[in-house]
Amino acid sequence: MTYLYEQYDVQEKHPRLFAIRTEASTLIETLQEVTTHTEFVTLAQIACTDWIEEERFELTYLLTDRARSRNLMVKVPLPRTGGSLPSLAFRFPQAEVMERDLHEMYGIVFEGNTTLYDFVLEGWHDIPPMRREFDTLAYVREHYDFQRGRTDGKDVKVEQKRRREEAKKRKAEAQQQAQTPEGAPHGE
Amino acid sequence: MENRLVTIFHGPQHPGITGNMSVELDLLGETIHRARTHVGYLHRGFEKLIERRTVIQAFTIVCRICVPEPDPNEENFARAVEGLAGIEISERAQYIRVMVQEMSRLAAQLLWMGGQSGSIGLETVGQWSLYDRDLILDLFEQLTGGRVYHMYTYPGGVRRDLPEGFLRRLGELLDHLEKQLPRYDRTFFDNATLRKRAIGVGVIDPDEALANGYVGQALRGCGIRRDLRRDNPYLVYDRLEFDIPVFDGGDVYSRALVRRGEMRESIRILRQVIAQMPAEGAIMQKLPKHRKFTLPRDDIYVATESARGEFGYYMAGDGSEYIRRMQVKGPSLIHGFTLLESLLVGEELSNVALIMNSLGICPPEIER
Amino acid sequence: MSEYEQSGFVPYDPQAEQQSLEAETEGIRNTQTLIEKAIRWFHARSMFVVAYGTGCGAIEMPPVFTSRYDIERLGVVGVATPRQADILIVSGYASLKTLRRIIRTYEQMSEPKYVIALGSCTINGGMYWDSYNTIKRLEDYIGVDMYVAGCMPRPEAIIEGFVKLQAAIRDNTLRPGYVRYRENLAGYKANQTKVLGERIAPEYEENYAGMELS
Repeated sequence: MTYLYEQYDVQEKHPRLFAIRTEASTLIETLQEVTTHTEFVTLAQIACTDWIEEERFELTYLLTDRARSRNLMVKVPLPRTGGSLPSLAFRFPQAEVMERDLHEMYGIVFEGNTTLYDFVLEGWHDIPPMRREFDTLAYVREHYDFQRGRTDGKDVKVEQKRRREEAKKRKAEAQQQAQTPEGAPHGE
Repeated sequence: MENRLVTIFHGPQHPGITGNMSVELDLLGETIHRARTHVGYLHRGFEKLIERRTVIQAFTIVCRICVPEPDPNEENFARAVEGLAGIEISERAQYIRVMVQEMSRLAAQLLWMGGQSGSIGLETVGQWSLYDRDLILDLFEQLTGGRVYHMYTYPGGVRRDLPEGFLRRLGELLDHLEKQLPRYDRTFFDNATLRKRAIGVGVIDPDEALANGYVGQALRGCGIRRDLRRDNPYLVYDRLEFDIPVFDGGDVYSRALVRRGEMRESIRILRQVIAQMPAEGAIMQKLPKHRKFTLPRDDIYVATESARGEFGYYMAGDGSEYIRRMQVKGPSLIHGFTLLESLLVGEELSNVALIMNSLGICPPEIER
Repeated sequence: MSEYEQSGFVPYDPQAEQQSLEAETEGIRNTQTLIEKAIRWFHARSMFVVAYGTGCGAIEMPPVFTSRYDIERLGVVGVATPRQADILIVSGYASLKTLRRIIRTYEQMSEPKYVIALGSCTINGGMYWDSYNTIKRLEDYIGVDMYVAGCMPRPEAIIEGFVKLQAAIRDNTLRPGYVRYRENLAGYKANQTKVLGERIAPEYEENYAGMELS
């Protein structure tokens, strides 16, 4: 643990959860150093968050120590298009399937991983679905048709909006009518 | 006559698989030459759905991520949101949550026993164990209203208090289960057929088990004593006394014995919970209204020890009321791909279901 | 209604179906011969269910088939292959990948065959209504005979679904899903092609491009 504090800027998130940051170009060196010189030897998860407003992905490599008691997050930013990372499959065999999952869901290329084919989707022709520009509700509206059970065939939101506007109009009319007979401003 | 490589699909429509997945096997006679796992039959896009939902909307679908054992999912979700939002829960709520987790663990181990015995053709044990599991589900129905999907553990505590006499009925059920365990020993664990089929089959190498990220019975069945309830404790597990059963063989039989020990330990923990449950305490903390329940821009990783191993959630918030990202990492992701594909090489076709059941591979949590 | 026609779906009209069913069975129910009644009674009391847990609802199938709720006393037994089966239980949602296998399994079963759909996901998509990978109405893709509501249905509800199906078979008040499927095959195939693409059967060999096959 002291090695970690000397070499990196460690953020302690919770009593047994720590985080360090690194760059995509130094990812392999960082992970090799951490897993060789500290007690964090296992790769537990590769997580990815899509910060579309900042035009980047943030990957989190989660390492666990030998006693399975503490976790270390290694955070790597990656550009949303054209970014690629070296694969960790040579060091951790479990990274193969995790990278395959992220490749299918986000489109991130992991160089050196030969298993980047379909994981859970079969015959998918659209953009990788977990990217935030993919609108799942619009996709469903286009390809499936589930509101056919309604006998009036109307969209619920359109109806709600119409009712709200009618209620507003009625309220405004009622207020106007309340004002005109008295001839004086209301509520003073 | 020469043997040629024949490729078959073991699943998805197959009575000997755990859930809806398939293993594509290249067979040389009856021996497996190469195995490839195929998942994706249960993919619902959970992580995409959760990004469109606020905390209370996401809570309703989170328990369906792992179908045989939904409670670790709810616990992880609750603790992740509590960790991000900085909510502390009362001691009574923590004890109730421990009780729910251990009851769920018992139910999952009984379901496993039915599956494992069915895979070797011993159907009697499945009838008994599913009946005992149903008694636990009856208690869940009294507590939460639902048999399998509870939607009970919420960030801030639990949703309703224990009904009257619940702890007494739980104690009676534990007495009944303790009387049943010797019957399972005679019929299942000491069964000569099981020993002949399971000893020496599906052996995991302990040297690579820790580094490759195996969890749960895959570790405890080859002599490595790891359990999140002791190593990275959460809720009130640091105040409860329990052992962690470990066996040395690394094969299917050792993993079965580990689960047998865990059932006894769960009963022991539940008795302590009944004795130590505080009589007073807030069931649920005061939370903001759901459109104002925002998560700060931060991320967290929480993990729970489920009946099959370490179940982890990575959650990130972005300052709004929507959950930015929730990534699920179940124990079956590594066990179903990295471990299974290497274990099956050289095994016989009839042992595929046996090995898959002993690892407890649950496809819904692999593909969310 | 024009946008529904444009979307390519062939709708299932319940009112017209009910009228035609009543017209059909008006005289039949009372004029079954003894042989026909006997055949229908045996038919209803031996239902073989193909062992395929397609979704969430499959977790309530083991309790139904084991000693506590014991559906075997009604003559319902699980079998291994679709060739031997009478009933396909679609237990919950169907993802696109599973839908291919469900269609293939359904078409491999020999008639008379029935489909029991469990859960709200088969009726209108359920709680995965905005998911890009699950289908929203099972009736558009194969012929369904009995819906059991719930999320997921209790074992007692599943047994009641079976009992109602058996009564309908015995009294000949059911226009089975396989008859509808056979008669409207072009419509069903059009719906299937719309979500699954041109190739409806599972892709076994050409799928994983770049994979090294030893």
